[in-house]
Amino acid sequence: MDHAPTRPSRPDLDDLTRSLHVPLERIAVEHADLIEAVRSRVVTNDSVPSGIVAVAAFNSSI
Amino acid sequence: MLKVHSRCDLSCDHCYIYQHADQTWRGRPTRMPPATVQAAARRIAEHAREHELPVVHVVLHGGEPLLLGAAGLREVLAELRTAITPWARLDLRMQTNGVLLDDELCRLFVEYDVRVGVSFDGDRAANDRHRVFAHGGSSHDLVRRALALLRRPEHRASYAGILCTIDVRNDPDRVYEALLAESPPRVDLLLPHATWDHPPQRPGPEPTPYADWLGRLHRRWVDDGRPMSIRMFEALRPGGGGTEAFGLAPADVLVIEADGSWEQVDSLKTAYHGAAGTGFDVFDHSVDEVARHPGVAVRQDGVEGLCVTCRACPVVDRCGGGLYAHRWRTGSGFDNPSVYCADLLRLIDTVDAYPPPTPPASGEGSTTSPVDGLLDDLATGHGSASTLALLADTQLSITRALLAACRDGSGTTAAWELLVHLDQVAPEAVRAILAHPFVRPGLVHRLDSSAPPGLGAAADPLPAIAVAAALRAGVPAALHVPVRADRITLPTLGSLVLPGLGESAEVTVRPGEFQVRGGPVAQTVLLDPLAPPSTGWFPTRDVSVPGGRLLLEDGDPYRDCYGQPVESRLDGPAARALGRTLAAAWRVVHRDVPAHAAALDGGLRAVVPLAPDPARPLRSATARHAFGAVAVTPHADPETMAVLLVHEWQHAKLGAVLDLYDLVEPGQGLRIRVPWRPDPRPPEGVLQGVYAHLAVTQVWQSRAAATDHPDASAHAAHFLAWTRDGVDALLASRSLTATGERFAGQLRHALEETRVGSR
Repeated sequence: MDHAPTRPSRPDLDDLTRSLHVPLERIAVEHADLIEAVRSRVVTNDSVPSGIVAVAAFNSSI
Repeated sequence: MLKVHSRCDLSCDHCYIYQHADQTWRGRPTRMPPATVQAAARRIAEHAREHELPVVHVVLHGGEPLLLGAAGLREVLAELRTAITPWARLDLRMQTNGVLLDDELCRLFVEYDVRVGVSFDGDRAANDRHRVFAHGGSSHDLVRRALALLRRPEHRASYAGILCTIDVRNDPDRVYEALLAESPPRVDLLLPHATWDHPPQRPGPEPTPYADWLGRLHRRWVDDGRPMSIRMFEALRPGGGGTEAFGLAPADVLVIEADGSWEQVDSLKTAYHGAAGTGFDVFDHSVDEVARHPGVAVRQDGVEGLCVTCRACPVVDRCGGGLYAHRWRTGSGFDNPSVYCADLLRLIDTVDAYPPPTPPASGEGSTTSPVDGLLDDLATGHGSASTLALLADTQLSITRALLAACRDGSGTTAAWELLVHLDQVAPEAVRAILAHPFVRPGLVHRLDSSAPPGLGAAADPLPAIAVAAALRAGVPAALHVPVRADRITLPTLGSLVLPGLGESAEVTVRPGEFQVRGGPVAQTVLLDPLAPPSTGWFPTRDVSVPGGRLLLEDGDPYRDCYGQPVESRLDGPAARALGRTLAAAWRVVHRDVPAHAAALDGGLRAVVPLAPDPARPLRSATARHAFGAVAVTPHADPETMAVLLVHEWQHAKLGAVLDLYDLVEPGQGLRIRVPWRPDPRPPEGVLQGVYAHLAVTQVWQSRAAATDHPDASAHAAHFLAWTRDGVDALLASRSLTATGERFAGQLRHALEETRVGSR
């Protein structure tokens, strides 16, 4: 059995939707790939904060 | 992968370890000696530390690892946990034939958080075609007994799934039913190892029997509503991410043999004797040295490491050339397509074609995928109520995944067990807490690898989350909750500030109240808003808005995620004034732009007051990790506040989209000139600006048409020009993915409609 997580890409919409109906206790086992993808996308790749860019100029314009 | 035992108690005739070309097992020690285990663990820990890896996956393998016995396995597991967990999260796995599995071993695996995969080929006839003892006896009953043990509630957390090696002579329906009957969390279907020198059996006249067999199983799986995860089918989907066997991601597996030799993936043993060897060992060579071995390095090259035929193939990103070992042919080595190439091509067609796309409801129009549908809807500038509900659900799922990731890192705690219990008996209460915008920032802070385990990790947010959920559910509970600066904050409910609580306090939940004990301090807090206020308790205040109850969040420590100072708790008059402004502003949004108001109703749940700054009295912000909240400087004018809310909510929606989709090509370092700032901006910033300005344009156009605001038309024209120039610059930059270009193109279209509407 290939135990490595599926290569993390991004959280899949279907997986996210299905995981909502899985009890918390079972998520780590049944959605291990999703957890790795979320960890990779959301925690490790803590990317550009939204909103900061345009806000200052917007505010100064009004 | 650790080969902790190099012999096996079964004698399967399809085993690549013993029955194929490589016979190096004959010279290995029977079991991995303790000194080798220790050296292996140190090498892995060394690599994790030097590269600051967030997680390391270790699979105990064989041979048959259970031949080590419970005591032997405990020594190995303890060594690995002791050496590696100070530096990285250790994901421990095992692959076994299950024959020797018993209660004691299951308890050991639960204790050490080991997830166990069992090799099992399906119904009795299928399984016993290959998986038998040396005397020819069946293993079927013993393996099923092992699977039943793993299914028990007390062991279930250690049940990883089933590895099934397929044989096209078996009945795919019976195999599918046999696998499903074992309730596996996941099934991994394995093509029998074969090469061009030793091609797979093709017993009939059909050119692609493996695709046909798997296609039949895929149809059953889809028709049944995908009742279990089947790794092969999920990995082959577009964007499925791939595995070692499929896709173009770099191979990242190394094997440590029982004698301490570093080897490449062990499936290479099917190619020729010694194929997996590197000449390195754990005593003298680091992981980095092994990673430079040509056989490992070539697996890092993605499509460039494939043969000419594969590089020219339209589905190369899906199959990735298939499993490396399956490409072997004497003479040309691995520079060939997979010996299963025709089957893989057909299987990808099958996965794509079933279920068939749903035809459009009317006779006209084209079919839109859910992804395109969601993005197209948001590209109207606002997004429907159903799209907002979907976005909110995905955000909740992400938070639940982060919660599970925290549990992975910390193990099972009382807080986790309480959350699991509440999730069963009061799921809406748990949902309400997890949907709070500042739960995710707390979990991300906890998981951030910049604070490695053992080196001052952030406080555990789970106890406060669990207590808040128990209070909301009215379920009695008791937990120890970390105290920060004399303060315990319960998400959505409020903060208790009591000097002298110490670093941790015991919180006891009873219906309608909770008691806190820490150090010499004890306090009972009544949650009834009509009861006399409890000393030190600062409840989170809210205001009624058309979308429900909007929290004025000025107490949660994780609200400090906006890159600018947040205001401390507002006094009563200030909070009431802000609440009145927000409620009035919300009504203004309903008046001006009902479509945007519906989007606000669908997701905005909290507003954070920002600290005042005389130099910039009017500011607002959105944080990527805090969907459902915006931050604003308190301002008395509802008309102004309405524009701020619409603007920021655009950022929140697009931020949620960017959790799911790549709209911008990563890592280009490109900067784009925009009309609203003097300094060139990164593409994602431009996209955010365009999306916000489109909505603000729509607000001002509405005001220009329906009110006598003297500057409304000028503002509308101003923002229209900004949006148009911004989106044009973005599209010209070639910095977007195909999905991003589609989204920006739709935005441009929405802009044209806005412009026409303004005439």
